[in-house]
Amino acid sequence: MTQPQKNKRIEIKTTADDHRIAKLAAFAIGLHLLEAVMPSPLPGVKPGLANIVTLFVLYRFDFATAAWVSLLRVFASSLLLGNFLSPTFALSLSGALLSLAALFFVQHLPRRYFSAVTLSVLAAFAHMAGQLLIVRFWLIPHAGVAYLIPIFMAAALVFGVVNGLLTNYLLRINPAKIDEAEG
Amino acid sequence: MRFLVLFFALILSACGKEPLVQTKSYVFGTLVDISIYGETEEKAHEVTSQILQSFQRLHHQYHAWQSDSELSKLNQTFAAGKQPVEISPELAQMLAQAQTLSKESQDLFNPAIGGLIGAWGFQRDEFSPVEINDLTIQKLVQANPQMSDIVIKDNTAFSTNPSVKIDLGGYAKGYALDLALAELQKQGVKNALVNIGGNIIALGQHGDKPWRVGIQHPRNPKPMATVDLLSGWAIGTSGDYQRYFEQAGKRYCHIIDPRSGYPAQSTQAVTVLISPSPQAGVLSDVASKPIFLSAPDQRANAAKAMGVDHYLVVDAEGKVTLSASMNQRVHWLAKPEKITVQ
Amino acid sequence: MKGALRWGKPLLGDVLVILVGLIVVAYLIKSLWHNEQAAKLQIRLGDKIYSTYSLDQNRTIDLQGPIGITRIVIADGRARFASSPCPNQYCVHQGWLSHKGQAAFCLPNQVSLELLSGEKPFDSLNY
Repeated sequence: MTQPQKNKRIEIKTTADDHRIAKLAAFAIGLHLLEAVMPSPLPGVKPGLANIVTLFVLYRFDFATAAWVSLLRVFASSLLLGNFLSPTFALSLSGALLSLAALFFVQHLPRRYFSAVTLSVLAAFAHMAGQLLIVRFWLIPHAGVAYLIPIFMAAALVFGVVNGLLTNYLLRINPAKIDEAEG
Repeated sequence: MRFLVLFFALILSACGKEPLVQTKSYVFGTLVDISIYGETEEKAHEVTSQILQSFQRLHHQYHAWQSDSELSKLNQTFAAGKQPVEISPELAQMLAQAQTLSKESQDLFNPAIGGLIGAWGFQRDEFSPVEINDLTIQKLVQANPQMSDIVIKDNTAFSTNPSVKIDLGGYAKGYALDLALAELQKQGVKNALVNIGGNIIALGQHGDKPWRVGIQHPRNPKPMATVDLLSGWAIGTSGDYQRYFEQAGKRYCHIIDPRSGYPAQSTQAVTVLISPSPQAGVLSDVASKPIFLSAPDQRANAAKAMGVDHYLVVDAEGKVTLSASMNQRVHWLAKPEKITVQ
Repeated sequence: MKGALRWGKPLLGDVLVILVGLIVVAYLIKSLWHNEQAAKLQIRLGDKIYSTYSLDQNRTIDLQGPIGITRIVIADGRARFASSPCPNQYCVHQGWLSHKGQAAFCLPNQVSLELLSGEKPFDSLNY
């Protein structure tokens, strides 16, 4: 009686994809934690390397999986860093949500003309916009953050391009399964 | 890499824009305040000093009470008789323009009453109360000096009336504004604000906002309102608070009614806003005077005769009347209790 | 050759997106950064204006926030966080502020600095 149940549990849960996604999510969390302890000239200006993982998952799997990896990273990292539900977490979450929203709308752009660079740049802009909204309407509604917006957006552009190029690179050196099967 | 270079080029081009360069100096016996925006400091100073030089020239050439000025010499020949004398093309053009405006104002703007202005003591650098001599004033009014008495032909001029004594005090600052605007445009300056003793003309704007000027309250030390001065627009005020003396509790201001020969008493201030034209500066200086001198029910007509849509009047009791179009342009800093929109 | 293939050729759409991004950033810089020198420093503590100081003076201001004393210094027409009890010291690292609209803030101690222009509500006076 107990034997079949055990077998059933194992059979349902794990596919090769599940393992890959779990690995990628863990990788994203690692990058997130690394950036959290890295010094930054301005709070909020970070490379956002974990977004490379989100983009990679979007290309290799689908939007739902990418969203799942992205949000898992935000929640898990905040639990590990001990800032769950703190302002830092709110910034992280609103950034992630807006950048996912941006990706949702632009994921179907023709691949002939638009690579991960486009997606990465737009996601980075959306990410910054999400963070600035939190800063403006919740954290420090009075202070003049306007002066900092160009710096944030310039950083988003630079890191967006770099992350996009890195994503392109990773996609090329890690061809999709079909390519593997064929090659 | 290429994109990084482009990026920094864009940042630098945004930062390289020079801020406001403001210069204050003293010409025409009054404060001249020139603001130039969006040019390099070097260029702004260069253009400003050129403009100030031409102001100095105007001041000396058309000075009403320095006997060696071109204008004083002309006045001397006017007084001497009907001999035509040669005058500079510029002065000929100025006199012709003043004649036209004097006619439009139904002689309320009358720069030929230099004799009266002198009798009231306003042709002095430092003025003090004068002994009011009713008889002298009466005689000066009866002599009826008019701009139309002057005959201008081929850069010569003579007067059919020896009492004509030109005083361009209510005209020259405006003329200088038009000159300054032309010079700024010639030098390629896009944004500037020139203020000569309270008369202001605007070119372009101050950054992303129009130039904003304050309108002085005639009795309080603070401005009462602001107006956004769009490119090419000019603003001028005639006020009884600018030059005046008080005697036996009565205020005698420098704006003299040519009909009576006495300073106007029914108005504290008239502000006019002039739309862009080659004589916007002149109008900002001239057009407020006929309104200032008109009876309350004649002010709208006086403004219309001068082609002025935007005007604001503060009467002797401090009550504010303004045209509907002016009402739309004025932002009150200290809103008067009662405003009449005409 | 292989390396070049891996990075791929730049795509038209990507280039356009980057260009648009550059224009957006340039526009933000142009519209949000002022070259104008500031005249006053406004200090906020929590959600209230703590005080406004003229920048024409050299002075040190100590103020008590939720987690300790923040020190602000005004000198030579500029202002900065000089010391702060916050753990990350971001506010101190922001350094001197000198232009209108510049701001620095310390979230942990709820102090923010903002530079304001002079009080003149107009460019010139008509009289």
